[in-house]
Amino acid sequence: MTNDYTKENSGYTMTTVAEEAARCLLCHDAPCSKACPAHTDPAKFIRSVRFRNFKGAAETIRENNALGSICARVCPTEKYCELACSRSGIDFPIDIGGIQRFVTDFEQKVDMHILKKGKSNGKKIAIVGSGPAGLQSAVTLLEKGYSVDIFEKNTKPGGYLTYGIPEYRLPSDIVDYEVKRITDMGANIHLDTSIGEDITMADLKSNYKAVILAIGASEAKMLPMFDNNKFTESAVDFLAHVKQTKGKVTLPDNIVVIGGGDVAMDVSTTLKRLAVKNVTDVVYEEFDEFKASKKELAGTRNAGVTIVDGYIPDKVNGNEVTFKHRKIDSKLTIKADKIIMAVGQQVNPDRLGITIEHGEVPFIGYRTEDPQVYVTGDIAHGDKTVVWAVRKGKEVAEEIDSVLGGSSND
Amino acid sequence: MINKDLSIDFLGVHFENPFCLSSSPVDNCYEMCAKAFDEGWGGVVFKTIGPAHFEVDEVSPRFDELTKEGTPFVGFKNMEQIAEHSLQENLDDLKKLKKNYPQKIVIASIMGTNAQDWEDLAGLVTEAGADMIEMNLSCPQMTSHEMGSDVGTNPDLVQKYCEAVKRGSDLPMMAKMTPNITDMIPAVKASLAGGADGIATINTVKSIANVDLDKKVCLPIVNGKSSISGFSGKAVKPIALRFIQQLRAAAGLEQLAISGIGGIETWEDAVEFILLGSTTLQVTTAVMQYGYRIVEDMKNGLMHYMEEQGVDHLKDLVGLANKNIIPAEDLDRDYKVYPKIDWDKCIGCGRCFISCFDGAHQAITWDEKSRRPSVDYSKCVGCQLCNLVCPVGAISTGKIEMKPGRKGDPSKVDIESVRLTH
Ligand SMILES: Cc1cc2nc3c(=O)[nH]c(=O)nc-3n(C[C@H](O)[C@H](O)[C@H](O)COP(=O)(O)OP(=O)(O)OC[C@H]3O[C@@H](n4cnc5c(N)ncnc54)[C@H](O)[C@@H]3O)c2cc1C
Ligand SMILES: Cc1cc2nc3c(=O)[nH]c(=O)nc-3n(C[C@H](O)[C@H](O)[C@H](O)COP(=O)(O)O)c2cc1C
Ligand code: SF4
Ligand code: SF4
Ligand code: SF4
Repeated sequence: MTNDYTKENSGYTMTTVAEEAARCLLCHDAPCSKACPAHTDPAKFIRSVRFRNFKGAAETIRENNALGSICARVCPTEKYCELACSRSGIDFPIDIGGIQRFVTDFEQKVDMHILKKGKSNGKKIAIVGSGPAGLQSAVTLLEKGYSVDIFEKNTKPGGYLTYGIPEYRLPSDIVDYEVKRITDMGANIHLDTSIGEDITMADLKSNYKAVILAIGASEAKMLPMFDNNKFTESAVDFLAHVKQTKGKVTLPDNIVVIGGGDVAMDVSTTLKRLAVKNVTDVVYEEFDEFKASKKELAGTRNAGVTIVDGYIPDKVNGNEVTFKHRKIDSKLTIKADKIIMAVGQQVNPDRLGITIEHGEVPFIGYRTEDPQVYVTGDIAHGDKTVVWAVRKGKEVAEEIDSVLGGSSND
Repeated sequence: MINKDLSIDFLGVHFENPFCLSSSPVDNCYEMCAKAFDEGWGGVVFKTIGPAHFEVDEVSPRFDELTKEGTPFVGFKNMEQIAEHSLQENLDDLKKLKKNYPQKIVIASIMGTNAQDWEDLAGLVTEAGADMIEMNLSCPQMTSHEMGSDVGTNPDLVQKYCEAVKRGSDLPMMAKMTPNITDMIPAVKASLAGGADGIATINTVKSIANVDLDKKVCLPIVNGKSSISGFSGKAVKPIALRFIQQLRAAAGLEQLAISGIGGIETWEDAVEFILLGSTTLQVTTAVMQYGYRIVEDMKNGLMHYMEEQGVDHLKDLVGLANKNIIPAEDLDRDYKVYPKIDWDKCIGCGRCFISCFDGAHQAITWDEKSRRPSVDYSKCVGCQLCNLVCPVGAISTGKIEMKPGRKGDPSKVDIESVRLTH
């Protein structure tokens, strides 16, 4: 593995992908396909690879998952398809993400255009937020003949795909290409436009048949004791800055990270890839209750990050933080040149007229009390991952279509 | 998802797509054929039907497989004979299939022990409603010399039996030929003289795939003994393609209608058979290994290929390669092409160095420190063995040079191929 922030691991070649596909047992009623939240149907596309039908494999992925190249790279497969894989009964699961990446790279190389806009039904839908959920709902609606306008408060589309997940795991070129497929299909994305500020919800509702809120949890949570501490930056601000500059940032030698989820792992690994000498990650949970995925945790440890588990911040004085252990009587003081806070993200629903509790709407489903307004993505009930955002994007579009009655009268 | 018309006409019969099950256990009864139709096959050649008086008595076990490294089913050996269901059951199944799947093609494979059998069977399957007849002149494991592949090597018998079938039925008929013969052309010409409308080939190749080292007998072991019997699957594809090319290249057979068989498993295999002159395709072994579902990727892949080639009618692809396959003495021998090694892609395994030294012309030098190969142009003959063995595609074809004293323009030499140039 290279330590360069912008360098992605190399993928399969034609020969090596055939070897990996040959490991697949081509199961009947395949467990992997049943375990994919977005119904990307890995068993079917792996079978196509086995029978050298790479274009058919690309069709299966793309038609089920408009963000197939992205999911191939960032999906926590160990929790979904690969967890279910029958091959584990022999040795270890098929590298489904890797095969998917090969196929979608192939699709890009031969420039296939699989997604097709449906026959127009004259109905317009507004989508707030251009993260994965907003993008997927746009695609499913376009396929059904709706026209869609996406409003995004940031300067670039993609939500956390563009401003969160580090370059070495998800190159911006890939995100740009995925977004381009969707704009080529006919989605209009209005950038630098914040709903609730630049345009009101009332305006949207009067101009569109339905409004989908796909705003994600795009703001950082902070611990109150770090308010106004000039050494402290939030994880999402830090990751956004590094990704936008493609790693061209100057950093001090000694940085402490607070938090133990995947975001903290991304921050810590990114720091190491940017050659920061001392990176210490202090985590509330103990190792056996860790939130971060095993893969992310292993990657972080391999990168040389010092991880201290079971400690919570107790006192902060400038750049000196004192932590205390949750169970044993023990304290730890660390002096750092910079403190990065990765203790979670929160939703900002201001002026959008929806209620958020514990990071999501307090009901299961997509339609809110206001029958014209729907939610999807991280703020809807369900896992907070890209593949679930894809699933929820498809499902909210299906629900709108069943309410608005497809191509019937306007 | 791409959608293109794959339909094609063969011997006056319209197939919704060229993919058929070949006659074998994969289409042994109504339920199997019905499931295959539901999953997308265009036609079936029902398991060979014999006369009522012929008793089928199968051995157990009856299969063996050839493997190579980790790959199973490189080839498949079987000791089966013809249908074990009664004549009446088979005829009833044909009738029911045609009734419930009128748009699919049902082909009856038949085999008799004498001319009268052939004539009677042809009449019976015609009454049952089959769309077409295939004469099985090629099964290598029959227990009598009047039946099976021995018949297919005897042009006189072939003609006689074809004439008998034509007396019994006016359905379109293809004769299924055996590859267990040096030259297939005389048998094919005899079948046409006897009234056959087209040819199906190949049936299985006589074989021994493996020998049990303790028991000193080949596999499968049938109560201590075994026999030579038919080989099929991927390993026989090159043999099948060679016969089909030779038939289409023979004077008077340029337009011969062929149903291609032997080792088809992917859409690429299918296209190869079509380009060499097959109009329809038949598959058994890949279905035995993977199930009927493989037709999905064969159909979809073929559609994408047609799209790439700008072809809207499958028939426009039939036989396109025939004219490019010429006698070896007519090939251009005036130039050679050197390999080109991409050191960035090279992973330093040294396989090219070993193969060139031990299997070619000692033209690759190896730098032990950097673990990188280089080509010594003074020794290289341009065989491209190194290119074929490189596991990462780091070697492609490079500079083309005329041999000393030969004339020609190297920039016009055409060696472009995905396999070698990457
Ligand atoms: C650092 C990091 C790493 C992650 N890694 C992974 C991973 O490896 N695998 C994985 O599956 N998931 C990962 N996730 C989670 C994943 O990114 C989210 O689950 C996913 O992005 C949620 O999609 P979304 O569309 O709901 O919201 P978001 O991606 O958050 O997008 C919401 C968009 O809405 C915009 N917006 C918000 N409010 C408004 C408004 N009022 N007006 C206009 N626009 C607005 C925002 O600017 C943003 O662009 C990661 C998250 C982070 C932060
Ligand atoms: C188990 C088995 C049984 C077969 N039985 C018949 C048969 O009854 N009639 C026939 O014409 N061919 C028979 N064949 C030959 C196949 O139809 C086919 O010609 C051959 O297997 C090559 O095709 P493949 O490589 O796709 O299997 C049989 C093949 C196998 C493997
Ligand atoms: S569960 Fe695993 S082995 Fe089975 S089809 Fe899916 S990837 Fe292949
Ligand atoms: S082309 Fe043949 S002779 Fe030349 S380097 Fe390769 S293996 Fe050696
Ligand atoms: S075979 Fe390919 S990878 Fe191996 S040393 Fe030769 S060029 Fe390099």
